[in-house]
Amino acid sequence: MEILHITVNGKSMEKLVDPSLRLVDFLRRDLGLVGAKIGCGEGTCGTCTVIMNGRAIRSCVIPIMRAENAVIETIEGISKGERLHPLQEEFIKKGAVQCGFCTPGMIMSAKALLDKNNNPTPEEVRKALHGNLCRCTGYVKIEEAILAAAERLRNGEWE
Amino acid sequence: MNYCGTSYPRNDGFDKVTGRAGFTDDIYLPHMLYAKVLRSPYAHAKVLSIDTSAAEALPGVEAVCSFKNTPNKPFNTSATMITTNPGMEPVRDQTIFTDEPKYIGDEIAAVAAETEAIAEEAIKLIKVEYEVLPAVYDPKEALEPGAPIVQPKYQNPEHNNICGCIININLGDVEKGFAEADVIVEADIKLPRVKQVQLEPHGAVATYKNGELEILSTTQTPHPSKMIIAYALDMPESKVRVANPPYIGGGFGSRIGLSGKAELLAAVLAMKALKPVKLIYTRKEDTTCSDSRHGGYLHARMGAKKDGTLVALDTTSWLNTGAYCTFGVELVGVCGACGTAGTYRIPNLKYVGHPVYTNQQTAGAFRGFGTPQGNSIVEACIDKIAQALNRDPLDLRKQNTTKNGDRNWFPFELGSVGVDECLDKAAAEIGWAEKRGKKQEGNIRRGVGIACGTHVSNAAPFCVDYNTIQLQFEQDGSFFIRSGIPELGPGSTTAITQVACDLMGVPMETTKLVFGDTYATPFDIGSHATRTLYSVSQVLEKACKVLKKDVLSYAANFLGVDEAELTLDNAIVSGAGKEITMKKLCYEAHLRGKQFLCTECNVPTNSLPWYADAAEVEVDMEKGIVKVLKIAAAHDVGKCINPALCEGQIEGGALQGVGYATTEEMIYVEGKGFINDTYATYKIPRADDRPELKSIIVESNDPKGTFGVKGIGEVGICAIVPAILSAVEDATGVRFTEIPLTPERVLKGLKEAGKI
Repeated sequence: MEILHITVNGKSMEKLVDPSLRLVDFLRRDLGLVGAKIGCGEGTCGTCTVIMNGRAIRSCVIPIMRAENAVIETIEGISKGERLHPLQEEFIKKGAVQCGFCTPGMIMSAKALLDKNNNPTPEEVRKALHGNLCRCTGYVKIEEAILAAAERLRNGEWE
Repeated sequence: MNYCGTSYPRNDGFDKVTGRAGFTDDIYLPHMLYAKVLRSPYAHAKVLSIDTSAAEALPGVEAVCSFKNTPNKPFNTSATMITTNPGMEPVRDQTIFTDEPKYIGDEIAAVAAETEAIAEEAIKLIKVEYEVLPAVYDPKEALEPGAPIVQPKYQNPEHNNICGCIININLGDVEKGFAEADVIVEADIKLPRVKQVQLEPHGAVATYKNGELEILSTTQTPHPSKMIIAYALDMPESKVRVANPPYIGGGFGSRIGLSGKAELLAAVLAMKALKPVKLIYTRKEDTTCSDSRHGGYLHARMGAKKDGTLVALDTTSWLNTGAYCTFGVELVGVCGACGTAGTYRIPNLKYVGHPVYTNQQTAGAFRGFGTPQGNSIVEACIDKIAQALNRDPLDLRKQNTTKNGDRNWFPFELGSVGVDECLDKAAAEIGWAEKRGKKQEGNIRRGVGIACGTHVSNAAPFCVDYNTIQLQFEQDGSFFIRSGIPELGPGSTTAITQVACDLMGVPMETTKLVFGDTYATPFDIGSHATRTLYSVSQVLEKACKVLKKDVLSYAANFLGVDEAELTLDNAIVSGAGKEITMKKLCYEAHLRGKQFLCTECNVPTNSLPWYADAAEVEVDMEKGIVKVLKIAAAHDVGKCINPALCEGQIEGGALQGVGYATTEEMIYVEGKGFINDTYATYKIPRADDRPELKSIIVESNDPKGTFGVKGIGEVGICAIVPAILSAVEDATGVRFTEIPLTPERVLKGLKEAGKI
């Protein structure tokens, strides 16, 4: 076991962890943050996407000790209490959610994009989602939701 | 109507965007063990010996199961096992484990241990000696005399490797039809095996205590799965609970019945260990050890008169159902019945369908269930007739499509037929009149194509198909619905609640639908066959009528007015100058020892959903790259209950069809099995390589569907392949007879046709 220093959803912590774990296992098993899903376990589907130090990453291919001193954001941490993030609201409104298995990862990739660029083109949105697979929606409504959320962020609705 | 026709936000949206939605792998129980499976490395072999002692001795291992210590009662993992009509017998040709593996991946043994790592290590310690046996992989080769026999005990006794029976459909006199024809064309197509690859892998968590088995899993049919599990383990169905947790990460047919075999594998380990056992398939296991779509061959001849009237169609299919039957027989039937005999008025029609056993993984249900295969060959034929007669393929289709009021082979009135409107709207959206048939030179060429078809809105009367529902008003007037359907992803539970609230006259906000749990809900066949919204709405219609009568009759007595004058709307009973809220009425009834509730059971009617898909493609003649630029998908859904959900079905189905036509193909290598078993190697469409998708909803108000509704779930994919093949032919002059359209295949085809 090793000591891990990590900040998850704004909370700094020191945890004894099994160094053979992946970041996704630590989040799901040790912290109970099961929003990050394991669709493939090899970094190709994007369902385990979380934001690490400002970048969307596949938490199923990150050995846990690589997250030492990292700042992690997960789907569970992006709303403000009961108030949903515009991305979350627009995903519901636009019909971007179907089975929901890709949704947390999809939203986290979108958030990493919008955190840096709140006025993306549709092409930029598609590019940001390259690593996030969805087999249900055809991606149309997901793009619409992200563009709508970007507009709301530009309008200062999430200040 | 208040809710139907609106994009009411889905009931699970909040849970799913906040990471709180529960899926099978999210379940962590006290003392829970983790399971891994030992699978056959051979396509066909006999297990000479198996030694599990080293695995059992490994610290942390709590159960090791194989064919030696588990029930070997044959069953069928698919729901067909308990939905086969009276008088017919389902093919029960599988056991939980086997000592004669019949495909690479077949289950030999399984381990439950304290951690996944220990379970994996234990699997490696199981020693198995195999004798390798001859195997066959191609459905046509499997029918040859002398081919290795895959299922000696269960195959049709009259034919080598035929699973169940050869499907024969004969309408009119096909030879007479060809004799009358002025033009006869022939077409062939070779279709790949493709996989659902829904994002959530198959999985189950099983708990066994005090003679009861509880299973939380990814099945899209909780009640049928309960029946299959109880049958295989010889347990009373009342002591087997199957539930979803409550969500499922897609399915597209791959878990109609068991999820692979996850439920039974976890169950036998839990029964041995007496602790909860979680088994989650790896992506590789999901891809290579559960039902895929049937690949294979289709050949057809079609005849028409000079004026374009179709007079004969003769189709033969050879579909690869793999090592076990699952849905093999039914699917090959639907391929002929819906896929070849459904769309057009063809007086003389013959179909011979071969469901063929091979030593590959099972093929079963995948969105469309045989109809995409049938549509692919028929639409190729009608394009050839159009060429032979120098006709516009769109006009020729409309001349021959089924019309309102027609009766064809379906054993029921067809319902509303909106296929011509679908054709017109899809064609207009793609720019058919301006773009089709433009001769082009140069390296980059564009083309448009169109295709159409029909399917069903449930499985009745071809299979056992019915719904049961329980309704009740709580003591405060809020409304409670229990249905055995799952929420697979389409939003069925939301649309169904919209229908229920409109039928009952109560608000969505105070209505709760409980679903996906055999201990909490009455029987339902589950989500498949494009049935959920259509068939549950019908049982709701029946139940709401009964319950409303009970409410109004009680209210009439309570208010002292004539029942006939009362109505229930917006949770208020009113009439004859009086009114009472449901809140007050239910509480007053409660004080007098009365609750309003009812249970109803219903066999649904059936209605045909219609569709037309138009595609625009761009072909790079030098590189052989086919790029799909746009899909215009028009669907006659009868009545649209929730436009956002409905469009989601159309767009998602269409994009799966684009993958089917252009990139998706399970590649089999002898001795290795299906080698492209990850998302890195099995290519499905991504956000940044998809075409423009335009969904078009056509409403024809079906006379049988509740509020006019018909099915939508499966049909989005059905005609995309022939639409794309037609568009590629328009661009290049070559009709490809094999998919997916990989650059190598396209270049080869263009070369052979002398186009490059």
